[in-house]
Amino acid sequence: MFKERKIRKLSERTPKPRSLWRDAWRRLIRNKAAIVGGFIIISLIIIAVGATWIAPYTYTEGRIQDNYLHPNSEHLMGCDFMGRDIMSRIIYGARISLSAAFVGALTSFIIGVVYGLTSGFFGGKVDNVMMRFVDIMFGFPTLILIILLMVYFKSTFSVIEPGTFRGVMSAIDRSMGGMFFIFIGIGITSWLGMARLVRGMVLSVREKEYVEAARAVGAPKTRLLFRHVFPNVLGPAIVAQALQIPGFILYEAFLSFIGLGVNPPTPSWGMMLSEGYVGMRSHFHLVLWPAVAISITLFAFNFLGDGVRDAFDPKQTR
Amino acid sequence: MFEFVVRRILWVIPIILVVSSITFLLMHSIPGGPFDAEKALPQAIIDNLNAKYHLDDPLWKQYVDYMWGFMRFDLGPSIAYRSRTVNDILAQQWPVTGLLGLASFGIAVFFGIPLGVISAIKQNSLIDYGSMWISMLGLSIPNMAMGPLLIWIFALKLKWFPVATWGTPIHIVLPAITLGTAYMAMFARMTRASMLQVVREEYIQTARAKGVREIWVMLKHTLRNALIPVTTIAGPAFAGMMTGSMIVERIFAIPGIGKYYVTSVGNRDYPVIMATTLVFALAVVFMNMLVDISYGILDPRIRYN
Repeated sequence: MFKERKIRKLSERTPKPRSLWRDAWRRLIRNKAAIVGGFIIISLIIIAVGATWIAPYTYTEGRIQDNYLHPNSEHLMGCDFMGRDIMSRIIYGARISLSAAFVGALTSFIIGVVYGLTSGFFGGKVDNVMMRFVDIMFGFPTLILIILLMVYFKSTFSVIEPGTFRGVMSAIDRSMGGMFFIFIGIGITSWLGMARLVRGMVLSVREKEYVEAARAVGAPKTRLLFRHVFPNVLGPAIVAQALQIPGFILYEAFLSFIGLGVNPPTPSWGMMLSEGYVGMRSHFHLVLWPAVAISITLFAFNFLGDGVRDAFDPKQTR
Repeated sequence: MFEFVVRRILWVIPIILVVSSITFLLMHSIPGGPFDAEKALPQAIIDNLNAKYHLDDPLWKQYVDYMWGFMRFDLGPSIAYRSRTVNDILAQQWPVTGLLGLASFGIAVFFGIPLGVISAIKQNSLIDYGSMWISMLGLSIPNMAMGPLLIWIFALKLKWFPVATWGTPIHIVLPAITLGTAYMAMFARMTRASMLQVVREEYIQTARAKGVREIWVMLKHTLRNALIPVTTIAGPAFAGMMTGSMIVERIFAIPGIGKYYVTSVGNRDYPVIMATTLVFALAVVFMNMLVDISYGILDPRIRYN
């Protein structure tokens, strides 16, 4: 009785636990640049979600007499080569860029984490073979692989055959304006770094005392993996993946720029740039607005990413 | 050291095998062939053309034949450009992309590293904040936006440089800046962070205690050690510049390999696709190897094993 009271008192006296996440959060909100970045990203998400209400015009059709219209009071950013309102296309374009950022990141995250967990947890020969494969794939120029993949997807799955596998894939892709295969392409080509990171962390977490303890009391392998190893790997992996987001935005813009990305008339900033730069001598506004939009987005993600990294790595001086 | 280099060179073989077989399978499973045209050719002609380019052989034989040729530096004929061999095409277009890549790399190194050093020495000063903001800007404006912006400002408005195309040294300036800015920013940020870390090492204190002038402490003791982590990004940066040239070559109408690659995939020009992919992969692998070797030269503490 007496003992118990004493213990409780002690626990009341200990200060609130300071977890890694709470410390990181406090460092993050002190970083002004990161706050600005976060604010821009939140605004972009609001714009993307509410595009239907915010955009003044439709992004699909324009009036022929508005072709190449320069900015005026009716069309604040002017019109493009088909008379479509550029501001509306920029607003809808936020949807494309942000979904490439988040869904693309998620696809490659899942592939990388599953691969890395498997490799690290089984160890031995399996690990050796799986990691040598990753080493080899690192020699493959990513942009070349993604171009081949996109051409393959676009021409293999461009059929209208309801019911068959090809038909269903093609229908999904068409309903997403060509984004579906971009997600898959990003997923397939950019999981290597994540796999390496996760595998390395699994190897170190596996040797920790609490895993040893769980093993000693006879926890089955699956429980060790999902209950003890996986949660401790997840946090750092998410942070690492968040830092890659600007890269995924660039992938989508790159593919759409060279004509292997979204299907017209889906408005991608990359595609708008490629449509605009040819005629920019007399119609610079066709290039200016998508360039500004994509740069601001990348700027925000880079600043937030920098803040997050610094917050988790206090050793690095600023 | 010797053993390390040999092992790295042998490592190229599996990379080339895997890259070539993935590329080969992928490009042959893309529907359509090199002889698809608006006006369909008679079947007999297509059969003859397929026989001429050995496209009627079984796939494994085509692959083996191709790789056998590749080892003897015979990359075969281009299908889309009937009169030229792939060797001709590469010989004509690689120097262009190579020169562009080299110029961008030069810009990245010769501006990026000094910028990082100055920021680190004047940490938390106005110069530091200014150059880090500029770096962030350079990192955030993608090639496809930077190119048109530079053309508009410096070619169309100020008329200092030609708008596009290739030929004289002045034509290199704008595309090289477009391609190099992001990497310049990367080098600057990396150098700064690395300098700030090294400055706190004990041997720097020792140097100061010995009475070495501060400028020499920074340039000789700090910078030399700070550059070691910076070399790690040189490999990926080089690879990025090579493939990043696809966009820049398109915007500036430069007859390089990056622009050609995208066209050749569209044309199903199989020999060209294979050759460019393999040469790109070789360039990446070779660059990474150089980086690994240069480690040991910069940092005697590192042992090859």
